[in-house]
Amino acid sequence: MGCYCSTSKKTEAQGYEEPTILSSETPCEYHDPSLNVTVSEVEALHELYKKLSNSIVEDGLIHKEEFQLALFRNKNKKNLFADRIFDLFDLKRNGVIEFGEFVRSLGVFHPNAALEDKITFAFRLYDLRQTGFIEREELKEMVLALLHESDLELSDDMIETIVDKTFSDADINGDGRIDQDEWKAFVSKHPSLIKNMTLPYLKDITLAFPSFVIRTDIEESEM
Amino acid sequence: MSQPKIKRRVGKYEVGRTIGEGTFAKVKFARNSETGDPVALKILDKEKVLKHKMAEQIRREVATMKLIKHPNVVRLCEVMGSKTKIYIVLEFVTGGELFDKIVNHGRMSENEARRYFQQLINAVDYCHSRGVYHRDLKPENLLLDAYGNLKVSDFGLSALSQQVRDDGLLHTTCGTPNYVAPEVLNDRGYDGVTADLWSCGVILFVLVAGYLPFDDPNLMNLYKKISVAEFTCPPWLSFSARKLITSWILIPPLTKFLASYHLHQLDFMIMQIRIMRITIPEILDDEWFKKDYKPPVFEENGETNLDDVEAVFKDSEEHHVTEKKEEQPTAMNAFELISMSKGLNLENLFDTEQGFKRETRFTSKSPADEIINKIEEAAKPLGFDVQKKNYKMRLANVKAGRKGNLNVATEIFQVAPSLHMVEVRKAKGDTLEFHKFYKKLSTSLDDVVWKTEDDMQMRETK
Repeated sequence: MGCYCSTSKKTEAQGYEEPTILSSETPCEYHDPSLNVTVSEVEALHELYKKLSNSIVEDGLIHKEEFQLALFRNKNKKNLFADRIFDLFDLKRNGVIEFGEFVRSLGVFHPNAALEDKITFAFRLYDLRQTGFIEREELKEMVLALLHESDLELSDDMIETIVDKTFSDADINGDGRIDQDEWKAFVSKHPSLIKNMTLPYLKDITLAFPSFVIRTDIEESEM
Repeated sequence: MSQPKIKRRVGKYEVGRTIGEGTFAKVKFARNSETGDPVALKILDKEKVLKHKMAEQIRREVATMKLIKHPNVVRLCEVMGSKTKIYIVLEFVTGGELFDKIVNHGRMSENEARRYFQQLINAVDYCHSRGVYHRDLKPENLLLDAYGNLKVSDFGLSALSQQVRDDGLLHTTCGTPNYVAPEVLNDRGYDGVTADLWSCGVILFVLVAGYLPFDDPNLMNLYKKISVAEFTCPPWLSFSARKLITSWILIPPLTKFLASYHLHQLDFMIMQIRIMRITIPEILDDEWFKKDYKPPVFEENGETNLDDVEAVFKDSEEHHVTEKKEEQPTAMNAFELISMSKGLNLENLFDTEQGFKRETRFTSKSPADEIINKIEEAAKPLGFDVQKKNYKMRLANVKAGRKGNLNVATEIFQVAPSLHMVEVRKAKGDTLEFHKFYKKLSTSLDDVVWKTEDDMQMRETK
């Protein structure tokens, strides 16, 4: 395998940000800078990003169809949860995920990322209407979406039972909606709820997507 | 995941969630497994009851309550005892608390309030005529059945919230003071009739006004307001309603004066309040009350058997009810269900090959025990040892494969009463071997599998 060596700045696709900067900006557990996503991890993510962002439209940006293609091997697959994740990753709200957004958002999924951040991300994910609360109707909508996606048909009564049971367990103050504190308490009782907020792959990403770009503006110790 | 659910049975009752809790008793939802009827199960700790020397009083009250059969009073169906507990089986009322209606919709029309108030007075009158007093009438004790009829709960079970002291009079130490009569607050001992009627007056006020007659964030001020009956009727009340409420808690000026300035003459004040307070015959004769009044029609079934009460309080072991705990599959909550969505599994962004998975799941409409048995029956012929614990299984291949012995873990989760999710994952060994094993296993499970994960994702590739 060859290496690309350069002292000059390579012209990157729109939305590209420097790995060194991104690395220092992506917080992990307890927001301890020593646990930030490393530069080599950011560079490996860039390899993955290039692959995803050029899968349909070769413009170096991840469009929703490209995101869907990566998740489902089908660019037309409509999925409520994938849409929510895409929207949360799209920090600038411009309909595409730029490289900086991709890295910053995936930072939450890093095994070293703060538990608090994972819990908050999951809360924002399930707060479909962005009201600062997870409402009963939203929970029901998500259950229906999951059942539809899984091709499971349950009676209305059964769906109501599932939703009611969970809602009464989580809505501690009984005001008909789940706030951030109630969500935190609920997750601490059911830690498996945020299992998919951690991607072990991010630890090993440098092996899966080795970056063959040796950059002179990076300390040798970083390589 | 949530902890495995433990189903508890007491005699013929299947015990569910806790629906209320007090100093002496916990109330749980339960279901009669023979009839399917829901009940409320009041559970008392024998040790606590004996320690507070309340066994005899509770026995008396429970025996009396078994005799009370009125459409507006929550029925006491039976009493059971175990080594450590006393179980009081009560009618389960489904319509929630009456006062939720006020919280949610504000004050009631006088006609609606009158209907509930008539039912309340019917219940109180019936119980008083049989020597049974409530002594703690408050919003939580006023329930509605499925047809919107009032049901008073905890009638006659005052021992569970109050205590008798050496003076032989009842003394209360609990509850919200807003509904409590002055003599109760002043803790001078009281009789049940006047205390209950005072509370009925306050309840009537709240029904028609939508707020409390006596209220103050400062407890001492609140006590003072109650003691001097300091309240104002809202302007929207009809004259006849106002007259009834005022006659209820009206205290003559002399008493107000005494209450404010001569607290050592409190006994005289209390006596005055008692003299002035309205009686049930007067209520029944009141013009506002009588409008559209229909006296309750109900049958008092002849004999009531009190053998169960005697057996429980004599603590005869032959009558002890059996308490059993049965493991249930772990309940999967809605968020756990949602988190299974493929759209939330970002591993697919990295897993470009999407090779064989290390875990899979299927749903089943069969009972959990049947699923367990079928998995065991299917795994053994494939050369697997089976270990079972509750609703988890460990299947270990006796023959070593490419990467040692293949071990498979399975667990059953309850998604809804008649739907289970079965998770099958590789715990040890080769992923390809696991995949082959699962294919063979699922073929043998045809009659219990409703949808496999592949079925669930078929539409994605269409």
